[in-house]
Amino acid sequence: MPAQPPETADSAAAPPRRHRKPWGGIALFLGPALCFYFAFIIYPVLVTFYNSVHTLLMDRGMAYEFVGLQHFKEVLLEDDVFYKAARNSMTWAVVAPCVDIPLALILAFILHGRVPFARFFRTVWFTPLLMSYPVVGVIWLWVYNYDWGMANLVLRAIGLGDYAQAWLASPTTALPALILVTTWMFAGFNMVVMLAAIHSIPAEYLEAARVDGASARQRLFHIIIPLLRPTMGNLAILDFIGKMKQFALVWVMTRGGPMWGTETVATYVIKRAFEWKTLDLGYPSAIAVIWFVIIFGLSYGLTRFLQRREALEF
Amino acid sequence: MRQTLPKAILMVPVLIYTAFSAGPYLWTAMMSLRTTDEIYKNHYALPIPPHFWKFYTAWTEFGYASYFRNSAIVTVVAVLLITTIGAMAGFGFARRRYAFRFRESLFLMLFLSIMFPPQIMILSLFQILINYGLFNTLAGLILVYVATELPVTIYLLRAFFAQIPQEMEEAARIDGCNDWTMFWRVMFPIARPAVATTMILNFIYFWNEFLYAVVFITKQEIRTLPLAIQFLVSDQYFDIGMLATGLMIATLPVLVMYLFLSEWFVKGMTAGAVKG
Repeated sequence: MPAQPPETADSAAAPPRRHRKPWGGIALFLGPALCFYFAFIIYPVLVTFYNSVHTLLMDRGMAYEFVGLQHFKEVLLEDDVFYKAARNSMTWAVVAPCVDIPLALILAFILHGRVPFARFFRTVWFTPLLMSYPVVGVIWLWVYNYDWGMANLVLRAIGLGDYAQAWLASPTTALPALILVTTWMFAGFNMVVMLAAIHSIPAEYLEAARVDGASARQRLFHIIIPLLRPTMGNLAILDFIGKMKQFALVWVMTRGGPMWGTETVATYVIKRAFEWKTLDLGYPSAIAVIWFVIIFGLSYGLTRFLQRREALEF
Repeated sequence: MRQTLPKAILMVPVLIYTAFSAGPYLWTAMMSLRTTDEIYKNHYALPIPPHFWKFYTAWTEFGYASYFRNSAIVTVVAVLLITTIGAMAGFGFARRRYAFRFRESLFLMLFLSIMFPPQIMILSLFQILINYGLFNTLAGLILVYVATELPVTIYLLRAFFAQIPQEMEEAARIDGCNDWTMFWRVMFPIARPAVATTMILNFIYFWNEFLYAVVFITKQEIRTLPLAIQFLVSDQYFDIGMLATGLMIATLPVLVMYLFLSEWFVKGMTAGAVKG
């Protein structure tokens, strides 16, 4: 990017000439960011859409061949792996918020109840979010180890040794096991956000309810939880979108196995592009486009749905 | 008495969750100070005596020095770049002075792209990086990192710059500032708290990023830490002790900083939550 010369101080001298657009300043401040944005986000998105209606033969110097909507037809009508991956991603995206948000809510209430060392606990619970997925993945590979992993150790210690198993080796337990890992990472984070929301509830509301004779439980269910609903809704949407994009944990821990049991759409796209020797970037681009439309549609719809509910409730 | 008893009961779930939350990492930390032979005898023994030399060995013999350096280069350069570019753009999008016809639509587009799944860009970015000779370079990775975090950075900083009163701008102008000096001498210093928040958010994101690294880096010499760990896990699957040491090397910089700046970290990560 060529460096822009600093703008001359014409506007400083004459404030009344404000109607003249400071194009120099606009270009100076917005130019670099917009260059990045269009070159590395908007342009690639458009290229992906373009690629999705082509076949790109990597072994022949990225030779383009127009195929129309054939990839989309194939993905949606013939590709069983895509549907398995989509089902796993969806399961993850729906189950994770259902576990994370209530758990975080409970933890936030407990810490709000003036537990000693609340700050310390908050700091500890937040920590898992600061680690990369590969680090978390390796640690949890060990936790789930059949012979000496922590998971089976705890089960055996509390007399549930019959349930000890190789968690990541069976298609039925592998996905729940991975979902638990993301809960481990994100529950503390959700807790912190909710705790902040609880603290920001005006004390007068609770005071007024107390004066009116509301019990602690009534204050909780009739004041605190309704006021937290927007926060919970936002966190749930974030959790949902995040899990729809889940890639790294699967890549490190199971590679989508066993038997596609933990394959997500994100891992499938990367596999189709770089691991399967189809050498075609067009087909995975079509999957990416489909998933992009679904994520965008759902997050837009969910946001609107929550806003409508808020509008009705208050 | 009626007060203390329920509080004691509340501590039970707190301690259970704390064990769940901290247990796996503490276990790893213990293993990082023990040899693999010791670990195979008992996976849960305390590191007595602690083998601190393992960190030196990992650093010198297992390549962590170069992985750490690669991660540090990418993270530092990308954070500096994105902070400069993002703060300027946040300022430009926030202030009335720089309004133009399509500015708000541009900003809306930028905001919506916070939600883009990386898959919609990654395959064509792969192609683009190859075309420009940036594939398999740290520079290419840095450019992609900066671009992908720009929307959320601009979004956060714009909100802050929009709150600065107009009088401030006018006063600076009367003092003889032009656009450039007003931004760097007046506005940017005021925005330091918000800038620090985004710096922390981006620092953690860049330090831990995996998806783009796995697709855009295939040469061993330029692997970043998350990428290196993924390979080491399969290469030295049975050398648990050394792998645990590597995990500590990859996480300690962030966790030590978190120890001292935990409020800032929490603020940064929750502010970045708009990203999802």
